[in-house]
Amino acid sequence: MKVRAIQFSPALGNIEKNLGAHISHISQAIRDARELVVFPELSISGYQLKDLAGDIALKKDGPEWREMEKLSKKIDIIIGAPLEEEAGLIYNAALYFSRGKWRHTHRKVQLPNYGMFEERMIFKPGEEFRTFKIGAMTAGILICREILFPMLAYLYFIQKTDLLIGISNSPQRGIGSDGISSFQLWETMGYVFSQFYHQNYLFVNRVGFEDGIGFGGGSFLARAGQGIVQKAKYVDEDVLDAEIKPADVRRARLSSNYLRDEQPELVLRELRRILHA
Amino acid sequence: MLKIRCDLVEKILVSSIRDSIYKNGFKNAIIGVSGGLDSAVVLALCKKALGVSHIFALLLPYRVCAPESLEHGKLACESCKVAYEVIDISPAVDAYFDRFPAENRLQIGNKCARERMSVLYDFSVRKKALVAGTSNKSELLVGYSTQFGDSAAAFLPIGDLYKTQVFELARYLGIPEAIIAKKPSADLWPGQTDEGEIGISYHDLDLILHLMIDKRWDEGEIVERGFALAIVRRIKKMIVASQFKRTMPPVCKLHARTVGIDFRYLRDWNK
Repeated sequence: MKVRAIQFSPALGNIEKNLGAHISHISQAIRDARELVVFPELSISGYQLKDLAGDIALKKDGPEWREMEKLSKKIDIIIGAPLEEEAGLIYNAALYFSRGKWRHTHRKVQLPNYGMFEERMIFKPGEEFRTFKIGAMTAGILICREILFPMLAYLYFIQKTDLLIGISNSPQRGIGSDGISSFQLWETMGYVFSQFYHQNYLFVNRVGFEDGIGFGGGSFLARAGQGIVQKAKYVDEDVLDAEIKPADVRRARLSSNYLRDEQPELVLRELRRILHA
Repeated sequence: MLKIRCDLVEKILVSSIRDSIYKNGFKNAIIGVSGGLDSAVVLALCKKALGVSHIFALLLPYRVCAPESLEHGKLACESCKVAYEVIDISPAVDAYFDRFPAENRLQIGNKCARERMSVLYDFSVRKKALVAGTSNKSELLVGYSTQFGDSAAAFLPIGDLYKTQVFELARYLGIPEAIIAKKPSADLWPGQTDEGEIGISYHDLDLILHLMIDKRWDEGEIVERGFALAIVRRIKKMIVASQFKRTMPPVCKLHARTVGIDFRYLRDWNK
């Protein structure tokens, strides 16, 4: 499958402008014969929403989605949005459009609420990690901080996910002589998912600034069993075109069979024992 | 411990300067160039970000400033090939103190800093430019600045770099050695140096600040590292005492949503 990651800078709270940017990128991806286009977390709204969330959150029946559904007749689309599913209850959501319909929603469960982050002040946490189909592949979505909890990717792993998609708004931070430590964080997880969960993993991070906070980009593809094989620029806008090959997942599983040997029932028993002791 | 990857820092800061200027509908930046290191670095970064024809520098000496400050200010501009203008602020500052004599030299220093701010903001309109600030992280944290004076700016490109890191970046950017080599000074009065006034070298100050703020080490851990308890406590006191310089003035809350308290929007709202 020919995928394209859009590493761009949304305008904070300007839905109209961002929707225009989405349509333009999607139209270009259709012209370039891509099959799936993936935008970063909260791509339609920007990140530090604060009180803006209540002003601009998108409703389930909003006109924006009709446009996305129409475009999805020609290409699969994943975008990030503040989604007000019920009055006053807003989720940090990832939406998947395909074959003319909105087909899957992932609601971010792990909402960071420390330091510069205040997502729990804005969003209601989601509760599930459900897979969905992209063509013949089983896919799962993680949003930003969820990527940093390996147990959450594990939930997709045991659902036999072939393609894991991580969308992010990661602020670049932690400068040192080796560079920016936050870049290493995401890339380490890319290596882990690829090597130990044997998933093809596409990480899509935004760029640009919001009141001095810069988002680092560095989107990448990690192939099952091979680690990171392609990476977009750090800091700057970029587009990452990659080919997802389901055969890589099979090869990786056959090589060391982590999925075959995994014992989720044992994990469940042990969790029950530990939590309910 | 405070070493930085200068190429990456330069890339991020250049990108952030472009963002601050263009997002707000401007093309130009104006910078008060003192002859010191911070403004020379900000000048060089702004030039890389916006292009030489979009940068304007003002040199704003007061009559008691060290003559080398003006020389080094010109050197900073000329080495970047940036257009500049020298405006002596002495007549304006002296006119005020002739009427209301100063009681101490700090008062004069603060007045000079605010006069420079006033001229910079007026010229920002003339030049259709935003004022690029030159405060670094060390001085922001200990409050070594004049409120509404040198701390006033539209954005602070090097505000998250400690002074020792600004030195490292300056060498990477090729800032003239004469500017790098001299002792940092606010130049508010003859012979003043930052380190003399703060009472500690930037090397030690920055390390203590980094451990205290970025690494969240407690007092005992920093002392174990080899710093005197009295110094650590004095720095902590300076940080606490200057918090007012880093926040907007408190608004007395009366309504359901109050500016500065729970009317929560970024500057980049809708941009």
